[in-house]
Amino acid sequence: MHLHKYEKIWLIFGIGSLILFLVVLGVGAFYKGTHPPSHLATIDPQNVQAHESFMDENLGLRQVGEDQYLVSVIASAFNYNLGTDEDGKAIRTVRIPVDSTVVFQVTTTDVIHGFQLAGTNVNMMVEPGYISSLETTFKKPGTYTLLCNEYCGTGHHIMAATVEVYQP
Amino acid sequence: MSKSSLQMKKKQAPKEEEQPELKGTFIAVMGLGLFILISWFIVYFIFVAR
Ligand SMILES: [Cu+2]
Repeated sequence: MHLHKYEKIWLIFGIGSLILFLVVLGVGAFYKGTHPPSHLATIDPQNVQAHESFMDENLGLRQVGEDQYLVSVIASAFNYNLGTDEDGKAIRTVRIPVDSTVVFQVTTTDVIHGFQLAGTNVNMMVEPGYISSLETTFKKPGTYTLLCNEYCGTGHHIMAATVEVYQP
Repeated sequence: MSKSSLQMKKKQAPKEEEQPELKGTFIAVMGLGLFILISWFIVYFIFVAR
């Protein structure tokens, strides 16, 4: 088969790019251990409170180590349940010190919701029947908006909360 | 007369096939490839920096 000189160049370029990105994917998956946020952890969507992480008293921010935090959230139309404060009021803002490791674990009781912290890499889909979790370290202090980016119904646009990263 | 001699010449040398003109295609293909590659790296560095 005869190939034009230019055809050879762009075929090498194309196949080279394919190999490069497959290697990137392989390193991410097998060496770095990257996996999707909903990684086979299942839960009964009818009864999420039965799960230890999503009991009323465990919702919202919990400190689990010196610089380690856990944020458990139940998403439902059209709210992020972050637990309640001492007065029994629903928490709307989570405050986390900068440079600490935070694991977000989220589930939903109804439809698919999004879980995005605008301006960060925290961005995942929350599906009924699954626990989505994501570990992150906030390097920059600031106020980040937590919002739903999967259309979930008429109140989708009001589904939001705040995460405040502060310098301790 | 000249026309027939040109045809004769072509018949005599069939190996010298005319190469298709691919310069424009080449520029378009490589331009698109570089655009995709550069966009990917920009997004990747945003991801790493956050
Ligand atoms: Cu929504």
